[in-house]
Amino acid sequence: MANFNARITMPAEAKAGEIVEIRVLVRHPMDRGGQVDAEGRIVPRKILNRLTVTYAGEPVFRFDMHTGISANPFVSFTTRAVETGDLVFEWREDGGAVFTRTARLVVT
Amino acid sequence: MSSPISRACARPEREPSRRQLLAAGSAGLALAALPDAARSATQTPLAELIARVTEGATPMRGGIVFDIPQLVENGNSVDVAIGIDSPMTEADHVRWIHVIAEKNPYPNVARFHLSPRSGRARISATLRLATSQKVAVVAALSNGSYFMADADIVVTLSACIDGG
Repeated sequence: MANFNARITMPAEAKAGEIVEIRVLVRHPMDRGGQVDAEGRIVPRKILNRLTVTYAGEPVFRFDMHTGISANPFVSFTTRAVETGDLVFEWREDGGAVFTRTARLVVT
Repeated sequence: MSSPISRACARPEREPSRRQLLAAGSAGLALAALPDAARSATQTPLAELIARVTEGATPMRGGIVFDIPQLVENGNSVDVAIGIDSPMTEADHVRWIHVIAEKNPYPNVARFHLSPRSGRARISATLRLATSQKVAVVAALSNGSYFMADADIVVTLSACIDGG
């Protein structure tokens, strides 16, 4: 999926110790497998099965997804601002594809 | 062409086929016992699903704010928000939050792994619900205890209808 589209909403900067909310919306069909497409073929299962988030190299959040997660999955979570650094979002798709996005949090 | 209801919305463990039943009957097995066995194979009770994620422990009720609409018009996308009152310190934090929808084809829906770095135990996400059912949330705390909350949800349009 070359056009992997993720929208990450979070503050660009925060005070040290502040808790920031991070909202992540991804465009993905999350094919749960078994649907019938327009040509009458069975669509195989293909979902994003995991989102891991690291902040300045440390893991801070992990979201295990199964077929019970909607298409275009949304998730929000919080993390404590400790130091200026990159939040790296890494999605793993069925079949082994990995998509990565990065967002920077400046801590004042 | 095809039915609008996907075959995938059937449980992954299928009921015995007519042929199997006939074979069992001719082999002299008690046919009356089979429907019960078939039903338990196709629908695992919620209590057992919870026991699987807690490794046998019985979670305590309460302590979880579970925000999910009681009436869902479209099971393809159901907003849930889960919050737990926890200081989220190294000594006392929520390790993970697990969501179970007992009547989904795959009842384990999602797991959120948190840590003291989370600062607060509050998450939200969008689920898919196959039918009206009880949705449960299990939270594992760092001290080894488990908490749960559940809610009865009415779904008017199942996520098993194609094109949604």
